[in-house]
Amino acid sequence: MRLYEHEAKKLFAGSGIPCPEERLISSLDEAAGILADCTYPVVLKAQVLTGGRGKAGGIKFADDAGSALAETTKLLKMKVRGFDVNAVLVSPKIDIDREIYLGVTIDRTIYKQTMMASAAGGVDIESTAAENPDAVVRVDLDVDQRFHAFLAVSLGKSIGLTGEALKQFVGVARNLMAVFRKYDAKLVEINPLVLTKSGELIAADGRMSIDDDAMYRQKSLLALNLGDRHEEGERTERERQAKEWGIPYLDLDGDIGMFPGGAGYGIMGNDFVVRYGGKPANFMDSGGGPSPERIARMLVLLDENPNVKVIFGARFGGISRCDDFAEGVIKFLREHGLSKPIVMRMTGNMWKEGLDMFEAARGESPELFKDVKIYGIETPIERVVEETVERARALA
Amino acid sequence: MAILIDETSNVIVQGITGGAGRFHTERMLSYGTRIVGGTSPGKGGEDVLGAPVFDTVVEAVRETEADTSVIFLPAPAVLDAAIEAIHAGIELIVVVPEHIPIQDMLRIRKEAHEAGTTVIGGNTAGIISPGKANIGIMPQIAFEEGCVGTISRSGSITYYVADTLTNSGYGETTCVGLGGDPVLGSTFAEILEFFDEDEATRAVVMMGEIGGVYEEQAAQVIDQMSKPVIAMVGGVFAPPGKRMGHAGAIVEGHLGTAKSKLDALRAGGAHTADTFLDIPRILSEQGIAPVNKVQPQL
Repeated sequence: MRLYEHEAKKLFAGSGIPCPEERLISSLDEAAGILADCTYPVVLKAQVLTGGRGKAGGIKFADDAGSALAETTKLLKMKVRGFDVNAVLVSPKIDIDREIYLGVTIDRTIYKQTMMASAAGGVDIESTAAENPDAVVRVDLDVDQRFHAFLAVSLGKSIGLTGEALKQFVGVARNLMAVFRKYDAKLVEINPLVLTKSGELIAADGRMSIDDDAMYRQKSLLALNLGDRHEEGERTERERQAKEWGIPYLDLDGDIGMFPGGAGYGIMGNDFVVRYGGKPANFMDSGGGPSPERIARMLVLLDENPNVKVIFGARFGGISRCDDFAEGVIKFLREHGLSKPIVMRMTGNMWKEGLDMFEAARGESPELFKDVKIYGIETPIERVVEETVERARALA
Repeated sequence: MAILIDETSNVIVQGITGGAGRFHTERMLSYGTRIVGGTSPGKGGEDVLGAPVFDTVVEAVRETEADTSVIFLPAPAVLDAAIEAIHAGIELIVVVPEHIPIQDMLRIRKEAHEAGTTVIGGNTAGIISPGKANIGIMPQIAFEEGCVGTISRSGSITYYVADTLTNSGYGETTCVGLGGDPVLGSTFAEILEFFDEDEATRAVVMMGEIGGVYEEQAAQVIDQMSKPVIAMVGGVFAPPGKRMGHAGAIVEGHLGTAKSKLDALRAGGAHTADTFLDIPRILSEQGIAPVNKVQPQL
């Protein structure tokens, strides 16, 4: 889960990392009051859960309360790369001497917690790192390994810091590693970490992403009421509905409704459809061991999507059982009727039970199943994809 | 021959008295897996389907000579369960649950690495050595003993590949599910090395997917291997995913896309497949013949 800049900075400041004195404007109603209180000039920063904010016009400067109010009004109404602006952070304009990059993440291939620092902080850090890897210096730590002061001193020296700035850097770096560990973060980042003209290090920006799987034990973060985060930009209506039902779902621009089993084949199934000349209308992940209810809802999403011509289903029962799968499909057909052809393949755990349930249901109400084709292990998945693509083409 | 597990593996189930533990214990037993016991603190002395239940892994190891453990417990309990197994001398731990905190996986990996224990998962469908042992949740229908090893992040894709290998007469030596969680107990590179040393394995199929850099890391091992490796990567046509921020991009660079993975794998000498049906064709081109009779299609 990503945090907004102002939330990340609150956690940074609470862990002893110097941050600017800032004010948060969450709605237009409170803007004039807060802006009248500020010392100018200020920087106005749109609070959004995406990077590239500056380049997308989400950062403005103002020399007085009047122009600040005008800019704040615009910012609160805009979208930054498809993301709603949640609030505007009012920050004092800093006299910048140097901009440093400092971040911590996990290097999964070597199982380390990795801190990176660069003298070339700012918006172009990624291209700097790609073109000149030596400009980024790293320290790799084992989980629970102490981040000794001398390691931080070496890191600071290697990006050209000396004297008082170096001493401050050691504190900031060790505190940032502590924040990363304390809050089960996947990422913490200060870019830029500014060295001011008066010689002080200050976190001018803050980014943080928490490991969702550890949220259950992060009681202090739960208390912040982070709620539902839109981490993928603006959602379509169906994506919102799917989110409400807890189904990972993305609209794409094709006409084949993808009704997969598992995340792995969810991704690869889309590849297969494209390879055989079709266009997926969506990506979807059933999750492990979906209930019949969830399976029926997956079909509802596809049935209500006007772009979908044919539904392609694939179920290889592992922890997800074919009898549950069959029950979900039958439930959907009984409650909603059949409006689109379904071509699918079903095998794996409890395939026989699943197939028997389909045959019994087909016997009871053949009209519901007249355009439902179910293949088993005898037919390669590629053939089923091919047939689906041909059906979609015929209906286009 | 096979890797990691076979008919001599003595397996305990951590969490054997829970719903999932019990259900899959029955399935694993019915496959012929040697389930010698299980653990469930406070329930020592009971039994599940004839398998004795112990309070601790140490007791289970002492009484049953267990060398392998499969974990069916809620994610928050996995860290302690895995460390307990490592300290008790278990050699292979299969972690089925998903959503294990990343820091917990780092701790498990560190202790396992120091003790020489192999950890598979989390969020894995398990491991199967067809005809010998099945540990985890994989359905037996797709598998038949044979000569090709498989490695995948995803359970469902393992089943499709095994299905293809079985139907074309190649069968499988061992199929390893690495797991779908972001930080895994074992990498493609490590499992490839096991397969390279296994006499019965003539070739390896590895199925990667977008995200992370485990596949790129594997490419370096493939370069050194004596056996052909066939690689598939899911997500070639996936819409661009969400980004985590600069730090991930700096560590992993331009890596992590399907294209970068396929490029790296080809450069390492892997043969890449677009669909499952390409796999038997490539095996045949590599001079590897099927070892099983192909069953007539039903």
